[in-house]
Amino acid sequence: MDRMNEDRLDEALPPALDAALRALDARAAGQAARVDVDRVAARVVERLRRGDVERRRYVLGMSPAALRAAAAVVVVAAAGLVVNLAQGPRPTVALPLPAVIPAMDSLSAGQLEAVLDATAQLRAVADTATPAATGTSLDDLTEAQLQTLLASLEGAES
Amino acid sequence: MGVPAPAVAADGDLIAQYLAGEEQAAAELVRRHATALARYLAAQGAPDEELEDLTQEALFKAFRSLATFRGGASFRTWLLAIGGNVLKDRRRQWRRTQVVELTPDLRDPSGDPGAHAEAEWAAERLQEGIGKLARLQREVFLMRAQQGLGYEEIASGLGITEGAARVHYHHAVKRLKAWIG
Repeated sequence: MDRMNEDRLDEALPPALDAALRALDARAAGQAARVDVDRVAARVVERLRRGDVERRRYVLGMSPAALRAAAAVVVVAAAGLVVNLAQGPRPTVALPLPAVIPAMDSLSAGQLEAVLDATAQLRAVADTATPAATGTSLDDLTEAQLQTLLASLEGAES
Repeated sequence: MGVPAPAVAADGDLIAQYLAGEEQAAAELVRRHATALARYLAAQGAPDEELEDLTQEALFKAFRSLATFRGGASFRTWLLAIGGNVLKDRRRQWRRTQVVELTPDLRDPSGDPGAHAEAEWAAERLQEGIGKLARLQREVFLMRAQQGLGYEEIASGLGITEGAARVHYHHAVKRLKAWIG
């Protein structure tokens, strides 16, 4: 077992505890050996593949109003992240979060999950992100532009 | 002159390949770490019949949140931490549905008396004791004593300080020593 690598341990376990741990680990190793690793790998890959398709379908199936709401949430989150990462002063422009929240009612649980997934990935891409022009409202974007925005955020995950 | 051994891709390379869209890189990471993860979960008392599903769930969650993996800890340690969370959540579900975990005696009432050997008893007793530890004590203890990880690595994987990891380990050993007797 791995713990036999004694030089990584700076203290020895009491003998009775050490013996019990060896017995427990032997039993755990026996249980683990019965796990079909290839089957687990196939199922994980399948779930990942299915999850990607589901998320894409949720995003593409949104109504324009839902897309606008989702995009607004993502932009708000992105702005917050960029500001936080830069440790600069808070933006002086009012962010449209209160107006967005009622519109979020139109999203299904799955669609909300897709939006949250997108926001969760923003930190990873924030270094290369540039803040949106504050003079442009989401209402000025066409549906196609909103789709592109969300698709690009989704693409940042892959 | 021998044949050069085939190069083994580092976990980091496989992660990068997966993020670039190569599914097989994910499959390779699963094959590489699933058994150790299952062993870690089994030592925490994950029942046999749930072990494969728990392993799969932890790996799936790990890949879904791979973008948050910063590399402070190894992929293995990070995965073990996720596995601990999955097991904790699953235990909550079990409690809600009042599933009673079968003890070896109940599973095999007509079993060979040899199955009750001292080592088996000690393992059972220790598992019970581990189950009574606070979560961080339990995870730090197993990561250190079973998986052989260093404190720095454990601390990074669990999001705690190295000092805290040492303290949790110390308390875990003290409590388990008293429990084992």
